[in-house]
Amino acid sequence: MAIRPRPVNNPVIFIILREMRTPILVLICVYAVAILGMALIPGRDGEPMSIFHAFYFVMYTATTTGFGEIPEQFSDAQRLWAIVCLFVTVITWLYSIGAIIRLLQNRFFQLAREEWRFIAAVRRISEDYYILCGFGDTGSLLARGLSDAGIPAVVLDKDENRIRALRLRDYNVPMPGLCCDASVPRFLIDAGVQAPNCKGVIALTHDEEVNLKIAAVSRLLNPNIRIIAVSASQFHEETLATLGHDTHFVDPFKVFARGLGAAIVNPPLYVLNEWLSHARGVTLDMRLRLPPPGRWIICGYGRMGREVHQVLHSFGVETAVIDPHPPEEDIDIYIRGRATAKTLKAAGIRKAVGVVAANDDDGHNLSIIINARGLNPGVFMIVRQNRHENEVAFNAANADIIMQPSLVTARKILFMITAPLLRPFFSFLLRRHRLDVRFMERLLTRLKETIGDEWPQLGSVVLSEKQAPALYRAWEEGARIRLVDLLRDPRGREARLAIVPFVLRGPDERLAFLPEDDVEVRVGDELLLCGTEAALTWLEATLNNEHLLFYVVTGRDLPHGWLLRWLYRQRYGAAALCWSPAAETGA
Amino acid sequence: MNLEKVIFGFFIVLALTLNFGFFLGEMDNPQYHNAYELFVLVVVNLIATGLKLGDRTQIGAILLSTSLVADLELIAAAIYWTVVVHVTETGMTPDVTASIVSLSGGALVANIVSVVMVVAETLMLRR
Repeated sequence: MAIRPRPVNNPVIFIILREMRTPILVLICVYAVAILGMALIPGRDGEPMSIFHAFYFVMYTATTTGFGEIPEQFSDAQRLWAIVCLFVTVITWLYSIGAIIRLLQNRFFQLAREEWRFIAAVRRISEDYYILCGFGDTGSLLARGLSDAGIPAVVLDKDENRIRALRLRDYNVPMPGLCCDASVPRFLIDAGVQAPNCKGVIALTHDEEVNLKIAAVSRLLNPNIRIIAVSASQFHEETLATLGHDTHFVDPFKVFARGLGAAIVNPPLYVLNEWLSHARGVTLDMRLRLPPPGRWIICGYGRMGREVHQVLHSFGVETAVIDPHPPEEDIDIYIRGRATAKTLKAAGIRKAVGVVAANDDDGHNLSIIINARGLNPGVFMIVRQNRHENEVAFNAANADIIMQPSLVTARKILFMITAPLLRPFFSFLLRRHRLDVRFMERLLTRLKETIGDEWPQLGSVVLSEKQAPALYRAWEEGARIRLVDLLRDPRGREARLAIVPFVLRGPDERLAFLPEDDVEVRVGDELLLCGTEAALTWLEATLNNEHLLFYVVTGRDLPHGWLLRWLYRQRYGAAALCWSPAAETGA
Repeated sequence: MNLEKVIFGFFIVLALTLNFGFFLGEMDNPQYHNAYELFVLVVVNLIATGLKLGDRTQIGAILLSTSLVADLELIAAAIYWTVVVHVTETGMTPDVTASIVSLSGGALVANIVSVVMVVAETLMLRR
């Protein structure tokens, strides 16, 4: 006989049944004996009770209901037995109720019940969702971002307090959470890693080994799933790269260092990135104080220090490093020791233009700011903030750029999910800027004119039957639709929605950056758009409602209903209902 | 101005106002509720339903369903009226009248929902 795995349907019921087996058996036996005795003992007239009467009497005696009605006058033998029944049955009930309460307080029972509830909650999610492993600083920031984007997520974390914190938040979408070790395959299956609407697993735990294991287990359980893992070591990245397609790793320090590099060679790109991320106090008008060229001092040569050094070095920026550990590689100016006034002076703080405080200790980084500012008030300060709870102190320290690894990671992952075309767009901007320095300025001006002071939103839409049903039907009727028509305001088509199209990806994967107005859109095109929230909502309405779409394309109103459409055709001819634009029919 | 919008709005509002007129008056007094008014009401409601057929949008589907609810309740009221007058020959007693009028009251609510939705859609697209 083949060994079959244990069926996993509803383990909670099984636990209850198993735990309640003894109390139930005892109850049945006690009742049986009591009823049997009552039915055997002779009454006053010598005849015993019927079984029905005995059953009735024991039922209300046992529950101490205390009805006054007795089937007939009892004999003394019956009374004696009734006393016995009363005691025994009441004790049995107390025992059974005690067993239920013990069960409810049992830790393992509670865990099983939570797991069962969690599975039910995951099954109820009908939209596409992601699995978040780890709900620390990064996880909670990402969950908030996903909720704002309307994408549900399932959260796994080892820390019970984090899961409790999750349940107290109010999200716009379901976010069930379970306290467990996310690298155990069973829990990943509970979280729905094999479900068809599970789009990806995001491993954000503090332990890179655990992240790697989560990634490997998820890949084995579901070959088509997208995997995003946080990793800051070369070894893990290489291993992750072997897990096949759609596996991504995010290294917060590398992401930040690249951003910093971009800021030095292409300042407007940095402004654009910060503005799209809704960084505090950043508008397109306000020029951020950007890292000036000149000598830079890097305090701390750990993961972040190394990445920043590499990037600055590759742009030919002169750097000095202060670190207590012996140098591992060949660096021009390397000063051993902690960053104090003495070592900072030795590194040339008076002539330096910028300082990067990159230690993994917040207190240390804060003291570097104070020291460096004291020695050179005009120096540009970039500081790493490790813990979210120290935010107030860092804001008071007034550094030029505060780098929070958790925030950088969360933003990056959120953009990977909600706006996958943003990355190619940014590398396009970086390339393009090298050829034409004014190009970025013009783009920022255009964005400012279109969106104004409102918060920008990135919108990603695939022009498919699912996401744009009205458009799909129009294509079936032979319509040719240009991008500019979609971006008209359905309230009055002369006005444009506050949207700037960033990227248009055709079905053949070809990318068009900042597409022109009269580009024709086709089935399967994917668009990356930047606009106000209201404008993106209107665009969604246009793509879903054929009346709005007909209006923005042709400038005429499509009659509601078959009858009026027939009348309209009789009166104006069939051409009036076809999708040709307004100018050609003269309507 | 758009002729289609005029026709569409006309029938929807006419159905609502006729319905209100029929509903108005003492609940159980047949004097206040006219058989011809109910007949016209049923006809106008059916026309309004016909105008809503074939709209593939979400709002069109909801408009159609409210219209169908109104039709259902009004036709039920008309059949009930016919049965008590011609089949059982009990006539329009107060309890029969009250049933018929409350059915038309249900249809009235459905018609109000219709008109509110049409007005909301129009206000949203100011042009």
